Amino acid sequence: MYEISPFLHFAAHTLQEVALGFMALVYITRIIWLVRFKAPKERQAATGLPGTTMSKGVIYSWANIAMPWAMESTRTKPLFYAQFVVFHLGVTAAIALSFIIPYAPGWLEGPGVVLLLRVIIGAAFLVGVLRIVRRFRNPYVRAISSPDDHFSLWLLTVWFFFAFFAVPNSTAGGEWHLLTYFILTAFFLVYVPFSKISHYLYYPFTRYYLGRTMGHRGVFPMVRGKAHG
Amino acid sequence: MSENNEKSLKAQQVIDLLGEKLNRQIVGSLVGCVHCGMCTEACHYVLANPGDVTYAPAYKADRIRKIFKRHYDWTGRVLPRWVGAGTVNSEADLEELKDIVFGKCTNCRRCTINCPMGVDYAVFNRMARGLLVSVGIMPEGVAVVSKDQWEIGNQMGVLKEDYLDTLEWMEEELQEELEDPTVKIPVDEPDCEVVYSINPREVKYDPRSIADAAKIFHVAGESWTMPSEGWDMTNFGLFSGDDALGGSVAQRLYESVEELRGRKLVISECGHGFRSTRCEGPNWAKQDVPFEMESSVNTMLRYIKEGRIKVDKTRNPEPVTFHDSCNNARSCGLFEEPRELLNLVCMDFREMYPNRAENYCCTGGGGAMSMSEYTPRRLKSGAVKAKQLEEAGAAYVVTSCHNCVDGLSDVIRHYKLPMKVTQLVHLVANALVIEKKVAVPVEIPVEVPVPVELVPVPVGAEAEALPLAGRRILVADDEEDQLEFLATVLEDHGATIFRATTGDEVLEMARREKPDVLTLDLHMPGRDVGEVFELIRKDPELEDLKICIITGKPELRRLIYERSVRPPEGYVDKPVDEDRLLLNVRKVLEVVHQEA
Repeated sequence: MYEISPFLHFAAHTLQEVALGFMALVYITRIIWLVRFKAPKERQAATGLPGTTMSKGVIYSWANIAMPWAMESTRTKPLFYAQFVVFHLGVTAAIALSFIIPYAPGWLEGPGVVLLLRVIIGAAFLVGVLRIVRRFRNPYVRAISSPDDHFSLWLLTVWFFFAFFAVPNSTAGGEWHLLTYFILTAFFLVYVPFSKISHYLYYPFTRYYLGRTMGHRGVFPMVRGKAHG
Repeated sequence: MSENNEKSLKAQQVIDLLGEKLNRQIVGSLVGCVHCGMCTEACHYVLANPGDVTYAPAYKADRIRKIFKRHYDWTGRVLPRWVGAGTVNSEADLEELKDIVFGKCTNCRRCTINCPMGVDYAVFNRMARGLLVSVGIMPEGVAVVSKDQWEIGNQMGVLKEDYLDTLEWMEEELQEELEDPTVKIPVDEPDCEVVYSINPREVKYDPRSIADAAKIFHVAGESWTMPSEGWDMTNFGLFSGDDALGGSVAQRLYESVEELRGRKLVISECGHGFRSTRCEGPNWAKQDVPFEMESSVNTMLRYIKEGRIKVDKTRNPEPVTFHDSCNNARSCGLFEEPRELLNLVCMDFREMYPNRAENYCCTGGGGAMSMSEYTPRRLKSGAVKAKQLEEAGAAYVVTSCHNCVDGLSDVIRHYKLPMKVTQLVHLVANALVIEKKVAVPVEIPVEVPVPVELVPVPVGAEAEALPLAGRRILVADDEEDQLEFLATVLEDHGATIFRATTGDEVLEMARREKPDVLTLDLHMPGRDVGEVFELIRKDPELEDLKICIITGKPELRRLIYERSVRPPEGYVDKPVDEDRLLLNVRKVLEVVHQEA
């Protein structure tokens, strides 16, 4: 093990714990706020093909994100879907890293793990750059982008950049990259509940209600006609 | 001055009412958008208007979302600009919102099924329509149709006597066609197995669909009836976002079934009618419905499967394709049954792509056909549908929706496609095998109503007599193409035609030529058409002149119907096709015959 400065120790432990606690608190508040709205009631008898039910619709709806063939929007843009997968794997890896370094640094002693994390996070960084370009260049996406959309994307992309350098958990070249990574992680945790990044909190809700309705009405699971040719 | 004090009363009411309309599903959709833009190319408006970002579903949704964020989501209260929150302050803001929620979206829900987050934009777009309607801001056509449905009980203002007359007329036609005077279209028969509900469009423009359905019920030996009240299964509440109207209309229909002690409500082919009655109605009316409801598509299919009717698909030899109504397919899961039925009654059924829940809107959904101010936009967006239709390579496009019939007819005409639109009921009736041969009359007495071949499937026989022979018809329209079309169709069927392009000409020619029928456009230069109408009605020399309004601006109906003179004998919305024109003119002429 190597020695780290008290400031880096604070950033990797106390700062993260406080930020995580804050995020959890805001999330709980947000969920309470959401469930205080009345739930819609579906009185109609089921329609659609036999075998389509509310519960099948909900499961299909939740699993939708892992089925790129299910939606035309993902089916016809496999590269964009691949970007989505890489980007979100990068987020998962970078978050995991913020736990691994302070609590299980031994995991990073194997070169295979370091390489895997760097590949994932590095690829996610590149996707982040592509997405920044797309958000500026695509007129439709530019027109719907709020300051939060731009900032969130920049935040994650920069965070990936520092996470990439933080992966080996080495202070041989100084602590700047680890410090920046942990400070950015803490900022990320505090900022997320106020931004669009919290969409994963809503995903189960929106998808649940859509799946419930569409399942009851026999639309989900989707039946698709053959493609051209 | 606080922000609230700067708001117009209507803007404040919209904001307040928004709070009452929110539920967990809608809130989830309002907060869930990540602005990824994946929905963009799912929208036919976007595809037909490349580069115009204001048609993008997420852009349109944000016009509603920003109000929610500013007033009901604390992230928008704390950092409004940062998260794109905003508000509405004036009636101009509400008018701008109206243009988006009514004029740039047909609530087809195609973006919904393409959103990775499951944001159901169509649901909250409908909600936004309802908010605007509640403060009186809506396209005039929406106001007119809603008023008719509130006051008269059906969305086309069909009077009870006209409805019953049409049923009687169709009953006579059917008796003549089947050469069986015992064939009935029963009205208000209690304790029947089936209560059949229809779209008022069938009474006004397509009564043959009632006769065809009656023929199928008759051959199947069904115990069925139609209610004399509460017979309209359409529901403009779906389009206007007015849940109160939606609940009231649905309840009226449910009550009529219960009063007749019917065991099953069969809903004729209509996408929004089926969705409103079968799916949304119980939610709007806040009541559980104690009887079964099904689309007539299921009924016809069931009759064939149970052997209650026999069909011969060789009678429908032409290639047909099927257009899935958004409300049927994407909101009610009705997409396999019509295909199964088509394969049973047609020789050559071919799919169009994409299809089922991924099909594109006909462009006439969401009440678009009643909003004439958006017609150019709608027709432009039809380029996507036109391409789909063309690629299908069929002679007929079949659909189970009256709105789609009109929307598709418009697209076909606008893009000059070599195909026609029909519905399953016509194809099934045409394929029906019955013991007695269905005869097409050869000699047709002019005064006697004759069956019009509405089923656009060639059967190799045409009526030899010209049904309008000897009739004098004044055709009034200021659009040259339209005038020529109407005149040519009527002339081809034997009528003597006079043409007028201004209000003054109409009056002058009506007095000079004394025609039997006047087809009158409501929007023409010169003397006000409403005034012309009133002057004709008050002229004793023109007492026998029958008038059929043909208009693309339903909101102008008040010019005619609010006058204290006899209403016109006929009314047709544009676009009008040959069959519909002939049918209506002949119906008007039948009034002449009956009164003579």
